[in-house]
Amino acid sequence: MKKMILLTIVSVLVLVFILPVVLSLSLKMIPNNVQPGYNPDIRLSIYKARDFTQKFVAKTDNLTAIGLSIRNPNLKNKSDVIFNLYDSGVTLVRTVTISGMNLEDGSFIKFTFPPITGSLGKEFSFTISSPGAGPEETIEVFIINSKDIASGITEYSYLEETHEGGTPIVTYSKPQSRMSTVAGVYSNWFSRLLHLRSQKSD
Amino acid sequence: MKKILVLAIALRVLVAAFLFHPDIKTFNFQASFLKKGVFNIYTYLTENKKNLSLKDDFVYFPLTYFTLGVNQIVTSPILGGNFDAWLGNADSNSSVTDPNIFKYLLVLKLPYLIADVAIAFLLLNYFDDKKKAKKAFMLWFFNPFTIYIIYVFGNVDVFPALLTLASLLFIKKDKLIWAAITLGIAAGFKLYPILFVPFLIFSGKSVKEKFWLGALPLLVFAAISIPFLSPPFFKSTLVSGLTTRIFNPGFNVGFGESIIVGLALYAALFFYAWLIDKKPIQFNYWILILLIIFSFSHFHVAWLLWIAPFVVMLAVKKPSLSWPLFLLGIVALSIPLFYQDRSMTISLYRVYSTWFDLLPTPFTAIQKFFDPYNLQSILHSLFVGGALTVSYLIFKKGKSEYNRL
Repeated sequence: MKKMILLTIVSVLVLVFILPVVLSLSLKMIPNNVQPGYNPDIRLSIYKARDFTQKFVAKTDNLTAIGLSIRNPNLKNKSDVIFNLYDSGVTLVRTVTISGMNLEDGSFIKFTFPPITGSLGKEFSFTISSPGAGPEETIEVFIINSKDIASGITEYSYLEETHEGGTPIVTYSKPQSRMSTVAGVYSNWFSRLLHLRSQKSD
Repeated sequence: MKKILVLAIALRVLVAAFLFHPDIKTFNFQASFLKKGVFNIYTYLTENKKNLSLKDDFVYFPLTYFTLGVNQIVTSPILGGNFDAWLGNADSNSSVTDPNIFKYLLVLKLPYLIADVAIAFLLLNYFDDKKKAKKAFMLWFFNPFTIYIIYVFGNVDVFPALLTLASLLFIKKDKLIWAAITLGIAAGFKLYPILFVPFLIFSGKSVKEKFWLGALPLLVFAAISIPFLSPPFFKSTLVSGLTTRIFNPGFNVGFGESIIVGLALYAALFFYAWLIDKKPIQFNYWILILLIIFSFSHFHVAWLLWIAPFVVMLAVKKPSLSWPLFLLGIVALSIPLFYQDRSMTISLYRVYSTWFDLLPTPFTAIQKFFDPYNLQSILHSLFVGGALTVSYLIFKKGKSEYNRL
């Protein structure tokens, strides 16, 4: 029976304290913000020469992915969807191409690229295009009409016009080290655990 | 005894506070309407669906609603004023980052802890041999399976599991009418104890007693359910997992007709009890019924709790089966881990960090080099093989070794 007691204690400790560490160590990137809320009825179509450009300021170093929600109505777009990332000097720094065939309607898509060192505080822009798609095979991005500090979006361009706001994005960065990710997870957890409000009724 | 109890509860509190399955929030959101005076939750949810932030049906039977609802009423001073807002919050991110979540989880899982401890004490009272009784008590408290199933998944199945065990205890004490009533009450939480009723009939000593042993559980269950009878009630409860998964067709015999394997074996067991066994030992049949369910249906991990007290009893009575049962437990528990359902694995840790949303589920990770459905099938087949042998052993020695539990 002593063995069983020991096994149970070890199992619980692994479940509660060790597995979160393993999960943290498995993270190759971490999100820097929560996707801003948006009205699903406000969208812009992307096809042929109609591409979409978004400016944003990176909030962290080692920027490694940008995620956004994209519609692919009736899954008609089967062409390439091209994501180009430019630095403030309008130099192309990263390109990611995905097939429209892998684009589920309304899904959240992450464009992942090799980390950009020194990205913190720098302004970037990205374009999304699908030059092989016709007017019946459009993809669509959602739009918010104001800047968002957390995600860093400032302005967007579409059909040669520039407006404040843009598509609600999530930026991701590569952690500085695996241990820093573990520390980040646990410090967040402890801060809530030790929060006074969690110790008393409201 | 005190030290053991404190250690057992401490381990449970750790798991209860930090691991979160979203179902507990959903059905407690529904149960929260009891303190607002809602009696018939089934029609209320249907009629008000448009205005509710969480639109799921309440899939359990009425006693689950009242138990969880009463817990919220009693503990409302601890839960605090923001609790209802948290329950109704449909944003999956802000609900797990709420600093009060640990307190909420602990309080919401408190009724499970009470039922869990009660099961341990029922097991303690079940065995006449003090050594065996203590072993059963300890084995219930110190095994990783039940802690995981009850407190990770916020498992309401602990209530019918407690009551079916109480029913078995009544049978042992020859209080058959009370056993029948308790089964009916258990079905008021979840339907599965009704499966034991046809076998309970055979324990009756006269035709009259047999009649009441069959009728009483159904009458009690009917008395609990009748006030709620309505299309939403039928839609929410009867078309739930148990009926749709257990009675899932097996193999086609042509012209649109199928043989339901689980049901066929259940029927075979019933006729065996009736025509051959005549005076079946309830414990053996109940555990076999559950082994059939887990062998031939796509079961939810929470269902494993139904059999857990019986497995502890079997392991105590027959120590040579302890490790095989332990192995079967691991296999059974690992099958649902490979379902394509985030809330079975990674999402359980969202309380620690929502960053884990970026990680693939075991299903997705395995998909890169092996068919996860095939892996599930392999594990399930292994379980069926083991369950068949255990069933054979229970049957073979049913009248002797396993009888005097």
